[in-house]
Amino acid sequence: MGNLHVTMTDSDGVKHEFPDVEEGVSLMELGRSRGVSGIMGDCGGGCACATCHVYVAAEWWNAVGEPDDVEFAMLDMVADVMKDTSRLGCQIKMNRDLDGLEVTVAPASGY
Amino acid sequence: MATSTQIGASEGRISERRQLTAEEQALLDSGSLADTAIQARPRDYYRAMRHGDPIHYDERLGSWLVTRHEDISAVQSDPVTFSVKHGYSEQQARGMREEFQAYLEEHGGGYFPDAIMSDPPYHTRIRKLMEQAFTAHRVKELEPRITEVVRAVIADVVARGDGRCDAVKDIAIPLTIRVIVEQLGLDQGMEEQISRWSVAVTAQIGAMQSRETMLANAAQIAELQQYLIAKMKEREASPSEDMLSDLVHAEVTGEDGGKEKLTFAEAVSLVRATLIAGNDTTATAIGNLFYVLTTRPGMAELLESVVDDERQLGRFIEEHLRAEPPVRALSRMTTREVTVNGTRIPAHAHMLLVYGSGNDDETVFPEPRRFDPSRPNLGRHVAFGGGPHRCIGLALARMEVKVAAREIVRQMKTLQLAIPESAIRYQPSVATRTIESLPITFEAR
Repeated sequence: MGNLHVTMTDSDGVKHEFPDVEEGVSLMELGRSRGVSGIMGDCGGGCACATCHVYVAAEWWNAVGEPDDVEFAMLDMVADVMKDTSRLGCQIKMNRDLDGLEVTVAPASGY
Repeated sequence: MATSTQIGASEGRISERRQLTAEEQALLDSGSLADTAIQARPRDYYRAMRHGDPIHYDERLGSWLVTRHEDISAVQSDPVTFSVKHGYSEQQARGMREEFQAYLEEHGGGYFPDAIMSDPPYHTRIRKLMEQAFTAHRVKELEPRITEVVRAVIADVVARGDGRCDAVKDIAIPLTIRVIVEQLGLDQGMEEQISRWSVAVTAQIGAMQSRETMLANAAQIAELQQYLIAKMKEREASPSEDMLSDLVHAEVTGEDGGKEKLTFAEAVSLVRATLIAGNDTTATAIGNLFYVLTTRPGMAELLESVVDDERQLGRFIEEHLRAEPPVRALSRMTTREVTVNGTRIPAHAHMLLVYGSGNDDETVFPEPRRFDPSRPNLGRHVAFGGGPHRCIGLALARMEVKVAAREIVRQMKTLQLAIPESAIRYQPSVATRTIESLPITFEAR
């Protein structure tokens, strides 16, 4: 067990507090292993399916940083629910600088 | 949301059935996905099912066809109620599996059940091992090398100088085989055999074999397995930098959390799956690309206009996969009696998730027959399936189709179909919608 803190609000609006996150764990792995609704991670962390889409809280955006081209191309496939603070959870790996991170799970792309 | 809810919690969900026209009703009553004419041109049949009877029992096939996007999503996100392991093994060599298995045990070095076509928790461990090989970032690194391979295949065809080729047999098939053979570390120059083997493996889930064709295909698969086993034994003795070596020496996390080596049988099944899945369906997507470029007005111009814009080209390819999905339907089997969207399905019933229909669902993709790369919800298409069994090689497939599209535009122009559109033949299969041969003419650019 680690000691990094992550707050994740799921797709049903429920806020989950995880005070025991290990370094190196991705937000997708965290959400999936703790049953956070809306985090599916179908492709297993390969940045290839956009089913672990999260919005990063504004105050954390600089620490988390921009998506790279590969990730942006994937986010573009769910353009209807993409925001300026969108990232794929599988591409955000926890580290000391992200201790206290807050994210909200994005809704699934529309029907 | 269908995708985020266990089916158990949403068994009460019922969406509206639409009134069918007399013609649609007749098609629904008399049609079957086992009919090769419907397989070749399936959209009217899909629509009749999707509108009037979305979970339709196809009597001739003995399968429940799931045709609405919402239901496909719900089913594929519940891998326990809807088993891939049982669905796949029921579909394999349908009705003749024991004979198929016995043949391979005798002639093919063994019968190796597909380790990846399994259910959690076993599936989760195997899948984790395979996932690292083809992440989008890993595939991005491969792009220059894939481009070289694709460029060479098309350049060879163009260099023949007569401005004609079979876009499926001369380009799509050899191209995807060369890419996956290089990744695995198998021998180049075997495109013809590998193509034959691929057809034989894919036929096992196509539900269209007679006993005679099943045995002919089993002979091909036996040959494939003997070849793979010999290659894997080589790598066992002296590893090199390729997937074959990785898989022969791979370890997975066992149930108790400790490391366990893959069994040789598991490794054979995974190498076989990677080789076949890594070429056949992607070749189909590239064949389909030539098909739309030669038959749909404006498509060639549209592709040309986006070819240098990475984002637009990516969207073009994704919309192509939505509009012409290579894999039309894959299997599941119910592990208990279950109600999906108001339709009761008994336990141990075979189902097909009809991706070809899901991608045409007008409640998700308005005007589904319009080719529109600007769709804001493109990522919802089910050409790669979804849930824990979502296609593992999706990033590689996208990349190969994208690079092929780019190289077609760079090297060829004025593509035209050299046969009437009505003469195009599709492989008899419920699983894929694959053009067998596509003669075209073109000019070198």
